[in-house]
Amino acid sequence: MYEKLLFLLVAIPILLLAACTGGSESQPEGGNAEGNEGGGSGSADQTLTYASTSDAPGLSPIDTNDSVSSHVIEQVYETLFKRNAETGEIEPLLAKSYENPDDNTWVIKLKEDIKFHDGTPFNAEAVKYTFETFLDPERAAPRASLLAPVESIEVKDEYTVVIKTNKPYGAMLAALSHSNASIVSPEADKSGNLNENPVGTGPFKFVSWEKGNEIVLEKNADYWQGEPTLNQVTFKVVPSVSTAISMMETGEVDFIDGVTSQHTSRLEGNGSINLIKKEGTPVYYMGFNMEKEPMNNPEFRKALAHAIDRDAYVESLNGLGVRSNSFVGPQVFGYDESAEDLGYSYDPEKAKQIIEENGFGDQTYHMLVANRDMYINMAEIAQAQLSEVGINVEMEMIEWGTFLDMTAEGNFDLTFLGWSNVTGDGSELLYPNLHTDNLGSSNRTRYSNKEFDELVVKSRTTTDQEKRKEYLAEANALAIKDAPWVPMHHGVVTAAVVDSVKGLELSPTGSWRLYKVSRE
Amino acid sequence: MSTQTVTAKGLKNVEKDSVFKDTMKRMLKNKLAVIGLVIITIQILLAAFAPFLTSYAPDTQTLSARELPIGSEGHWLGTDNYGRDMWSRIVYGARISILVGLGSVALGLIGGVILGLLSGYYKKLDAIIMRIMDLLFSFPGILLAMLIIAILGTSLVNVVIAISIWSIPNCARIVRGSVLSAKKEEYILAQRSLGASDRRIMFKHILPNITAPIIVFATMRMATAILSTSALSYLGLGAQPPTPEWGAMIAAGQDYMWTSPHMTIVPGIAIMLVVFAFNVVGDGLRDALDPNMELD
Repeated sequence: MYEKLLFLLVAIPILLLAACTGGSESQPEGGNAEGNEGGGSGSADQTLTYASTSDAPGLSPIDTNDSVSSHVIEQVYETLFKRNAETGEIEPLLAKSYENPDDNTWVIKLKEDIKFHDGTPFNAEAVKYTFETFLDPERAAPRASLLAPVESIEVKDEYTVVIKTNKPYGAMLAALSHSNASIVSPEADKSGNLNENPVGTGPFKFVSWEKGNEIVLEKNADYWQGEPTLNQVTFKVVPSVSTAISMMETGEVDFIDGVTSQHTSRLEGNGSINLIKKEGTPVYYMGFNMEKEPMNNPEFRKALAHAIDRDAYVESLNGLGVRSNSFVGPQVFGYDESAEDLGYSYDPEKAKQIIEENGFGDQTYHMLVANRDMYINMAEIAQAQLSEVGINVEMEMIEWGTFLDMTAEGNFDLTFLGWSNVTGDGSELLYPNLHTDNLGSSNRTRYSNKEFDELVVKSRTTTDQEKRKEYLAEANALAIKDAPWVPMHHGVVTAAVVDSVKGLELSPTGSWRLYKVSRE
Repeated sequence: MSTQTVTAKGLKNVEKDSVFKDTMKRMLKNKLAVIGLVIITIQILLAAFAPFLTSYAPDTQTLSARELPIGSEGHWLGTDNYGRDMWSRIVYGARISILVGLGSVALGLIGGVILGLLSGYYKKLDAIIMRIMDLLFSFPGILLAMLIIAILGTSLVNVVIAISIWSIPNCARIVRGSVLSAKKEEYILAQRSLGASDRRIMFKHILPNITAPIIVFATMRMATAILSTSALSYLGLGAQPPTPEWGAMIAAGQDYMWTSPHMTIVPGIAIMLVVFAFNVVGDGLRDALDPNMELD
């Protein structure tokens, strides 16, 4: 009896603790962890440790398509063009200049005297090799669609490459500034596996990768823009964000990104951690399955849009979201302020009235939600608000992979999704997500509107950037009116760094470069 | 003949009453068991009168009153990250926990008692049934439940089914053991020589005589069932939001541990108290139902 009791007294608190592990995992002893001394400017150890919740699937720009990999790729490789993190303008990086003799031809001059980490010279051959490998159906690059309109890549001379497209491709520069279109060393790719052993022209060189634990990079002393300040960078895998924050507090980790609203107050309350926030390109929305009754009824979509108090929702994100009626977000190319006057604002009375008139409240709707904090948060708030106007929703939460399959198959009534839009270009949002071509694949809400399709195609096949902007704004306005989505919020990209880290630039797409970063 | 039956029935009732009284008397002497009983009674009362005890629905959000601490005006247990009243969620959670506990234990008992009776009574079936039970035993309980949920899909009803399947082998083994010793008793031999059917012997004569271990098992099992439901919901396999299930509440609250610790601590304490209560009551019952224990 007493034994049992003793066991209970011990076991229950342990179980309880186990239930709360998230943050209470044993904190390693702090003290003089690497580079956390601060103070003396010259003596600071120029190393940086970044933590992410999962390991990179690979380190080759050609063979990966995810943000974890791209964070490493962006330090090791470089692209021909780059989007300026401040102005949003696309500027040459490895390229020197470009011109369009006609709408289907891109003549790109390259910078000279740049070498890959393995000593291979960077030239037009390397560019040709990279893009041809990227488009090779046998290589099956996951992001090959970026360069889909490209017909041929020719070497004009050592530092001039000519890219021909089969139709005008307006988003070419955006595509060429995408981290997956980084230039790789042809020698390294032929003789080895870039996924395991990346070789680029970037400011950092690959050193080692302990799978599931950490990736180590060191500085490229011969970097063409000058030596970086940091000597070594470590990408650590820490599955729980709370643990990563604890590790920042003890000095084991210096930098994390993708901070969600539930952690902001903890980070902001810590005087030695800087939380960097920047309005970004991602858009998060509630999507209707436009192939099903009554979701294909505009009145239904209108009623639900009126029912959701997005101001209160965005307010609850603690500053990590931007309220906008527009699908193409304020930081995305193609945004026009006039879009804010469109769309359907919060008006529960009107919603109730429409729902009663049409009898929408008679059935229960299937809301499919991916098992990720942000989507669960949206879904819980939306469900409560919908039930207030008489719409009953049954929520099903499932794992991410299954979720993507089920939404592609159209196995839902309502769902929540986002699009991070790495190129920052409106065409790259509207075409994959809402164009009829992509029904059943990336067009998960199954929106199809001829007029809209035409405008999106025009925005993709025009090279005049002003015209493109007009087409995108028009397409955007049309989609807002049709409301296949209720835009919940536009993302704010975040990063948290310890005080001694200086010079981190966060781009609106959530990517960052460590070239100019230093420790004080 | 008929008069005899009447007297037999009368005798039985007298016996039943006294067993119940004896048990209660013994139970009340065990202080821990009394505390347990009080906690369980409170939980049952909360579950039964939930709508009268709360002034908010458990899923009503007030986004302007998020993460209020314990002791806030109008929300004495505070609110969660959606501004839902914690007290309402705990009270309605009590309802879920008791229903899931009762449901899964009842289902498990039905399966376990039948299989245990068959296995203990028929030698031929014994080997087969017990090997199947061994197979179920070979999985760690929570893994077995997760496997079943993976097959059936995530929902609270499936959690009940999973936990009840998990309790079947335990129950069957206890029942079988008791049947094995009970069937050697002389009153069974007497029934058999009177020509009673197997079914009659099993359900009318053996079963009533082995209720004590079953009651103890069921009570202890309530604790396991409630804890497992919370564990499964914590892992996202059980109750789906916005259901105010205690384990799910802990899971939702863990990201807010630094800013609003009450979101995890309050449901944690609720689970702890209830599991503790069922365990000590089960323990108390075991002692109380033991006929060898002296009633001084």
